[in-house]
Amino acid sequence: MVVWVVRRVAASIAIVWAVVTLTFILIHAARGSPFLPESSQSVDPETIARIKNQFGLDRPLWVQYGLYLRNLASGNLGQSFALRRPVADALADAIPHTFVLALAALLIDFAVGLALGVYQAVRERSVGDIVLGNVALFVNSMPTFWLGLALLLVLAQWLHWFPAGGPNDPVLCPRLDSFPCLLDFFWHLTLPALTLGLVGAAGTARFERAAMLEVIRQDYVRTARAKGLRERRVLLVHALRNALLPFITLVGLAFPFLLTGAVLVETVYAWPGMGQLAVKAILQRDYYVVTGAAIVTSSMVVLGNLIADLLYAVADPRIRVRGA
Amino acid sequence: MPNLRLTTLVPLVGLALVAGCERRGGCTGEYCGTLVIATAGEPDILLPPVSEFATTRDVTEPIFLKLADLGPSGNTVGDEDFQPELAERWEWDAPTTLVFHLDPRARWQDGQAVTAADVAFTYDVYTDTLVNSPFRSSLRQVSAVTTRDSLTVVFRFRQRYPEMFYDAVYHMRIMPAHLLREVPRDQWRSASFGRAPVGDGPYRFVAWKAGQSIELAADSTFFLGRPHIRRLIWRFTPDQQVAVTQLLTGDADAVEVLITPDNVQRACADPKLACYPYKGSAYGYLGFNLAAPGDSTKPHPLFADRDLRRALVMATDRERPLHNVFGELARVPPGPMSQLWWVWDPEIRELPYDSAQAARLLTRLGWIDSDGDGIRDKDGHELSFRLLSPSTSAIRHQYARLLQETFRTAGVDVQLDEVDFSVFNERARAGRFDALLNIWNTDPTPSSGFPQTWTKAGFGRSNYERYYNPQVDQLVDRAVTAAANRDQARRAWRSAFETLNQDAPGIFLFATENVAAVNKRFTDVAIRPDSWLALVRTWRVPPDRLTDRDRVER
Repeated sequence: MVVWVVRRVAASIAIVWAVVTLTFILIHAARGSPFLPESSQSVDPETIARIKNQFGLDRPLWVQYGLYLRNLASGNLGQSFALRRPVADALADAIPHTFVLALAALLIDFAVGLALGVYQAVRERSVGDIVLGNVALFVNSMPTFWLGLALLLVLAQWLHWFPAGGPNDPVLCPRLDSFPCLLDFFWHLTLPALTLGLVGAAGTARFERAAMLEVIRQDYVRTARAKGLRERRVLLVHALRNALLPFITLVGLAFPFLLTGAVLVETVYAWPGMGQLAVKAILQRDYYVVTGAAIVTSSMVVLGNLIADLLYAVADPRIRVRGA
Repeated sequence: MPNLRLTTLVPLVGLALVAGCERRGGCTGEYCGTLVIATAGEPDILLPPVSEFATTRDVTEPIFLKLADLGPSGNTVGDEDFQPELAERWEWDAPTTLVFHLDPRARWQDGQAVTAADVAFTYDVYTDTLVNSPFRSSLRQVSAVTTRDSLTVVFRFRQRYPEMFYDAVYHMRIMPAHLLREVPRDQWRSASFGRAPVGDGPYRFVAWKAGQSIELAADSTFFLGRPHIRRLIWRFTPDQQVAVTQLLTGDADAVEVLITPDNVQRACADPKLACYPYKGSAYGYLGFNLAAPGDSTKPHPLFADRDLRRALVMATDRERPLHNVFGELARVPPGPMSQLWWVWDPEIRELPYDSAQAARLLTRLGWIDSDGDGIRDKDGHELSFRLLSPSTSAIRHQYARLLQETFRTAGVDVQLDEVDFSVFNERARAGRFDALLNIWNTDPTPSSGFPQTWTKAGFGRSNYERYYNPQVDQLVDRAVTAAANRDQARRAWRSAFETLNQDAPGIFLFATENVAAVNKRFTDVAIRPDSWLALVRTWRVPPDRLTDRDRVER
């Protein structure tokens, strides 16, 4: 088991390094310059050359890459050209927002997806199952940003039930220093999390329905029923517990989806997370922010999968034996 | 029934949350009010010498003062229309020597007095090549700034010209020498002071939450009068559309520009909002590259031909796309100018829209549709070019398609090169394009921007089209440096524009008209077109219109 874990961790580090290297090369190879802002009327070529020199961008790419890795090894992610501050600071501001959003979306995704999946499996081929199946398919096919815009229009702009964006009310609750302000934060979080969570929940429901259907046809479920156990206990304790095993894999798979989805949701809801930061940085050719964001994102995805693999190995001895 | 419960429950929960956050009671009277401004884009740094972002200008405007500022007329010639800020008065010691007397009441927000040494230090910073201020070139006519005593500062100019005073006061916001002297000049672009500045203006910096908001609070001891609105908050949004949505939902109180006719219609129809039209500082055009793409030493195979350019200008109906894209929110400019410029004059002569004459001219030049495919050709080459535009600009995206169709009906094939902004800028600077759709945001006067964009001085800088006519350069030089008064300057500018229009280096498509929207509880809202929040300290919320958000205490 230890060897297996070490091997998986080493592979994860290699994957992150590969992503960082590719991102570094691609963003530097991309056309465009980080020193030509939109209102660039007065930036003369000498100034641009001087700034490039200041940041070492006039050196060969392999030298820049070597310096970047050296700095990275000492925990220095570099300086943002556009934000005029250390990349680490910018990421530190953005990461918590993306984490909270992803976590909330994950909760909605699994809670709603699980409930719907179980309901549909238990009532297989009923009207409820068919209707919910089609609704789930519809929502699952919906582009995240479109659902976000629709919810924003209806629930924020028309009905005024929720705020139109941002993580808090900057007038009444500029800081999370009281319980009402904590509630205000959750109120602001609701729409973005719902947008991201519902799309995922639709997929999860389909997945869970199939898993439950497979399980409830097993002999041990029939045995449980024959023993006279109540149906609720049969479903929730005997069937659902086993149908949850594939969910561990789903958690690992959900990370990339949540992170990519967050890019669009953060834009629609002005949520100041990693997605927004990365998109702006790409458009502005803010090299070190893009690379820093790639490090964080790839690490999160790899970590998510690693944890899923570990949990799976713990939960299913066959995986552990094969991997050892 | 469950629906009824939900519809009742959700707003109630929301209201409960808001109510819970509010701290009732609090501020009452004349000096309350919180203005939340939704804006796309966030400042890079709150240090005016090293940033040219519009949002930086807006946020730093109430923090740092100038010596004097533009008056309501927007007149940049002479000094009579300027209003004192840090300088309580000024006089001319000699034709090229300007003396400012600082207001002795002026204080930095840490309690130190604002002195002449601060002004001299500021000039030194703005003109230091290590600082790389984007405003350095605007101060090139100022030869020295020295102190006479702690409250008297002397500006010396290289020559006498109509906008000397404007150059001396408009570009520089005075910086606190005692707080910034130790910052190495090559590190100003990322100085920590720029994330928590100490100023001398009507508002003091409170907080900057990266990616979210910046908050300023009124300085009740401000020497030119206490600001009425107690708190200014900028909320940052990923784009202007989200900003408008926040305005419509009541999450924000004001936006600078509504941009599209649809937004204007929605915002102005909203009973809680008031709309304020004002002159825009931007103009957009299709520029022809007069040099070969990527090789400025050779002429462009098509657009080096002046008659061909004139034919394309005459083939273009500029009114129709303008109404399609902007509705009433823009005007066709009589040359490369924004509505902000005092030289704007609809009587300036231009090439007419005359598709028949354009067609005759193209035929005379040998461009005829010999193979009947709808595209004119000559010597086996089709009359075809590529149009470069940024994919991120919705306005230019629309214009590109409308112009493509216009040119197609004239027998000209246009291929669109839509790239992201960074690439657009890089290609434009390198001259790697046939034609481009560009927008310039301008200063209040043509004297600084025009020479950089349409004279030889702009080669390698902002004259992407490499347009050069010695006659235009001479006229501009006369208008900028030699004119004795505003009328003489106006005549020289008019001749320059008319000569340029006859050369047709571009098709001047639109000059924007802005509409800001502000919540109706704010009164005395005055907007200065060159900087919409310049007069924000006079805005106010009457006591009977204060909401709980205005009264909230922290």
